[in-house]
Amino acid sequence: MYISAASTVSHQPTFQNDGFSKVIEPLGESSELISPNYKEYIDAGLLRRMSKILRMSVTAAKDCLQQADVEQPDAIVVGTGLGCLHDTEKFLNNFLTIEGLLPPTSFIQSTHNTIAGQISLSIGNHGYNMTHTQNTLSFEHALIDGALLLGEGNSHILTGAADEYIEFLDEAAAQLHPRPKLNLTSGASFFVLSGEKSEKSVARIQDVQVAGLVQDADAAIGTFLSDNFLNVSEVDLILYADFNAGTSKESVAYEYFNAHYHADSKLINYTKLSGLYPTNSAFAAHYAADRIKHHPELKNVLILNGLNKDNLGLTLIQSLEA
Amino acid sequence: MDTLKEDLKKHIIEQLNLEDIQVADIADDALLFSTEGIGLDSIDALELIVLLEKFYGIQVTNPEEGKEAFLTINTMADYIEKKRK
Repeated sequence: MYISAASTVSHQPTFQNDGFSKVIEPLGESSELISPNYKEYIDAGLLRRMSKILRMSVTAAKDCLQQADVEQPDAIVVGTGLGCLHDTEKFLNNFLTIEGLLPPTSFIQSTHNTIAGQISLSIGNHGYNMTHTQNTLSFEHALIDGALLLGEGNSHILTGAADEYIEFLDEAAAQLHPRPKLNLTSGASFFVLSGEKSEKSVARIQDVQVAGLVQDADAAIGTFLSDNFLNVSEVDLILYADFNAGTSKESVAYEYFNAHYHADSKLINYTKLSGLYPTNSAFAAHYAADRIKHHPELKNVLILNGLNKDNLGLTLIQSLEA
Repeated sequence: MDTLKEDLKKHIIEQLNLEDIQVADIADDALLFSTEGIGLDSIDALELIVLLEKFYGIQVTNPEEGKEAFLTINTMADYIEKKRK
């Protein structure tokens, strides 16, 4: 399947910034979400009710469709790890503090599938509408669903992933052992995936595989590469994520590819660029597509999502020439 | 009565997240559920029912009654006054 367009709202200057992969640096300690002018994309009547995750997602989705010149995708498929946290927190607080009737909006919008639903309402889409929530592999599951839909003969699928930061996550993270060493952030990345190559095509998603409760990550990576007839040396760029990014010895990617992070190296820890959220592999997919677009010499980019040590997501993105 | 209307407008703006609307922008006789007025929708109607209970202790039990009461700020204020007596 081909990536015809990509759009990301994140803590980096990614939105409508072709070539962002060349200029972005690892995030500092106190980064903030870089919000586009949402009013340009969302009707004021809908916008007033939308939480951050909905604003980011609908805006990125609409930007994507505009870039691809696709008015109506055949399906909308969204992955989210933690869903609409802001509305969930608001609803639960109302539930605990208000006696009598509860305000309905935060309840309605607290469900994970609100994201895909709001996108469809915003563009008037009546097609297949699906939400995948599989922890850190939510985006990969959405990609697999997108690939299956294209295999059934659909032309264009809007696929993406989003997660939002709320302050409570810091409190929760402080209770974890080990504590996450990277900033908790928000992000939404959307893609128009197409079955046919066109002048809009940026890169090709050659393969996506997921492994839950992975026992032997090395073997899974090796099998994935051999399934795609690739040697390790043929992978031009590896984008990886590990929960314990500071301890290279526990890094699946580090162990497998034995290299250090550097802006020009073959191995890049994308969580340092995107910040930490469950679906940041979608950020990596946009980063990969942007790198490939501007560096045609990159033929094979592997996204190795080991953000949760029990889950492994493998996505191979290739240049159109590969 | 005027104070009640001002309070009502403040609560509506806050409760419904009417981000770009000020109290002065809502005329007392503007149709709340018309695009030519404030442009509220069915979810807002539910929010208004909750608002009446939360701030004024009034329960809207008859849907037909609500339809009439939620026409404008004037009708809402009249409804609140009537129910308070």
